[in-house]
Amino acid sequence: MTGRRVAVTSPQTRLAHARRRYRGPWRPTTLDPAEMPRAIALYRAGRRRAIAALAALGALIFGLPFALSLWPALDDMRVAGVPVSWAAIVLVPFPAMVAMAFWQLRRAERAERDLLDPEAPAGSDDGGHGDPSAGPGQPAREGAS
Amino acid sequence: MIVALAVAPVVLVTMLIGLRGVAAMRTTSDFLVASRRVSPLLNSAAVSGEYLSAASFLGVAGLVVKDGIGSLWYPVGFTAGYIAMLALVAAPMRRSGALTVPDFAEARLGSATLRRLAAVVVLVIGVLYLVPQFRTAGLVLSVVTETPYWVGVVLAGGVVSATLALGGMRAATYVQAFQFVFKLMMFIVPAMWLLIQAGPDVRTEATQPTEFTHFRDDTTVSFRVGATLDVPTGVEVVGRDGGLRELEPGPWEVPPGTTVTFADGTPVPEVRGEAVPGADGWERPLLDFDDEGYPLLGTWAVLIATMLGTMGLPHVIMRFHTSPDGRAARRTAAFTVALLSVFYLFPGIYGVLGRVLVPHLYLTGATDSAVVALPAQVDDGTAGTVFTGLLTAGAFAAFLATSLGLLLVVSGAISHDLVPGGLRQLRLAVVGAAAVIVLLALPAAAFDAGTLVTWGFTVAASTFCPLLVLGIWWRRLTAVGAITGVAAGLVSTIGSFLVNVGGPDLDGWVAILVAQPAPWTVPLAFLTMIVVSRLGRPAPWATAAMLRLHLHEHRLSPFVSRTQSDGAARDLGHSSWPARRSSAVRRITRRLGR
Repeated sequence: MTGRRVAVTSPQTRLAHARRRYRGPWRPTTLDPAEMPRAIALYRAGRRRAIAALAALGALIFGLPFALSLWPALDDMRVAGVPVSWAAIVLVPFPAMVAMAFWQLRRAERAERDLLDPEAPAGSDDGGHGDPSAGPGQPAREGAS
Repeated sequence: MIVALAVAPVVLVTMLIGLRGVAAMRTTSDFLVASRRVSPLLNSAAVSGEYLSAASFLGVAGLVVKDGIGSLWYPVGFTAGYIAMLALVAAPMRRSGALTVPDFAEARLGSATLRRLAAVVVLVIGVLYLVPQFRTAGLVLSVVTETPYWVGVVLAGGVVSATLALGGMRAATYVQAFQFVFKLMMFIVPAMWLLIQAGPDVRTEATQPTEFTHFRDDTTVSFRVGATLDVPTGVEVVGRDGGLRELEPGPWEVPPGTTVTFADGTPVPEVRGEAVPGADGWERPLLDFDDEGYPLLGTWAVLIATMLGTMGLPHVIMRFHTSPDGRAARRTAAFTVALLSVFYLFPGIYGVLGRVLVPHLYLTGATDSAVVALPAQVDDGTAGTVFTGLLTAGAFAAFLATSLGLLLVVSGAISHDLVPGGLRQLRLAVVGAAAVIVLLALPAAAFDAGTLVTWGFTVAASTFCPLLVLGIWWRRLTAVGAITGVAAGLVSTIGSFLVNVGGPDLDGWVAILVAQPAPWTVPLAFLTMIVVSRLGRPAPWATAAMLRLHLHEHRLSPFVSRTQSDGAARDLGHSSWPARRSSAVRRITRRLGR
């Protein structure tokens, strides 16, 4: 055990944190007009990819039960003693979903990168962003500068 | 007492890890979202640890014993939800900067009424989800150690609220991540051992389902909850003196607390309104509820509820807010799919072995204790006891981790959204909420954990799922539309549950749609939101509020670019940044930009 850790804020800060919070009048979110086109491009790109991913997911999730109800013969077919239909609801959906998740993740990240800094060489991954081990004291905004 | 030795370390480690988070707790943000500094891998382990509740660890295998192989669709829906989350919700939700779902609703639509309504929905989901966790804690502890039911419930409530009140989200994150790894080990290793130890005969039998008609051994069944059995002729029970006594044929009301030992080879009594394990249709890979004859509809209904419900579960969404940015939130969702997929390969093994080895659990309705009851059936020596201990420890970890996250959102809803207050009030809310849940769980021993949890998912699917999806992707959503949509979803699902519990007996597809209302309540909520929003007019800032959610955080800061040379490209006259920031904030950000 290293020594006890204590909060080193001023008593006033501690008081302010413990106090009932005053909630001011709600203000609408603002968007810098300079960033509007970028936001629209990101929104459209995101929507297109999300629809494709959901279509694939829906086909798997609703198609597989349908296929199994269409071919009840799969219950009697056995591989290594296990009915094919039993294996099909465990061994088909999970690997397929993992593949789908990483496919969607890759596309979404690539879309974001391409739209934000088209000059950056393709495939370069600035690992600095998602790394939270950067520790406190380093403001989040610095990532881009 | 080896079981007590297994549960005690889980409880102790939970508390110790929890205490680690105490020192750095100063603000509500520290408490609710761990100051948003959790890496994707740690966070996805925590999400999975939180998500694998008693319903996953014990419930799925229990449902397989009771309802058949089709129950394996539940985990598929549970996992699929994260892909929908990844595609639709994760990154924009995190970019909204909100602390809780009600916070998000207010930030996007600017309505205090909507915020309070969303907080109420959080409470409803929290209670529906927490009560079965505490109930299962009590039940599992009473099955393996013969302690009374309330001991486990109170123990779980105490540990969870103490950890959370002291350490908040930071403590919860480490605890849940640790417990994911722990649960995975406690689930996979015993599964392998059971498969090997059960022997070739049991393994063959497991894949050739036959109806459970005769006891194959002297079987002791203890009824913690009363039951009504239909006793056929020739059922013999072993008396206290070891002699055989024949039961009177006909209906038999078993009072709670009875222990009966059925003799070897006698026929099995039937339970009113329940299908017998291994009966015709058990081996079908679809969910035909109560043999109504609509297996496809039943399966799809469960998949819709679990998949869309996952997207709206407030404690899962809260976990995404602990990511440092939208990109990390999205990675968290993708990693979670992988981690959950590994875990969900195994419940089926417990299920099919349970049908062979412990089918008598269906008489008491306690099939969800099948997982912890299995090792003793395979090996009655030390090894069996050790593995029972391991599985109990895993199950305990399962409901501790889930309850931590749920209790956190429930207290967040009370103390952050309904009655905004400081950190001290949040801590008090945790303890208060835990006490209420314990009181609710004490009389709930008879409820089926799977049913309540599925209801929680259905409520989430028909309220928060449309709110989040339309809020993030449809700019014309209005506050009035969102309020009526959420209210319609909440009222229709709760009404449907009430009809299911206390209403008339229904049959056919109507019965399925009343018991599993997601296929109509989710479209109803979506439609209400769209139609009512179309009738009104979105606020002038609505488009900006929606687009803002899709904007990457790591763009150049407007303060930075002001000092650089690209100021010419910006229409400064229309920028609202300077007006919204105090001079102190401006001074500090300028310094950072240098």
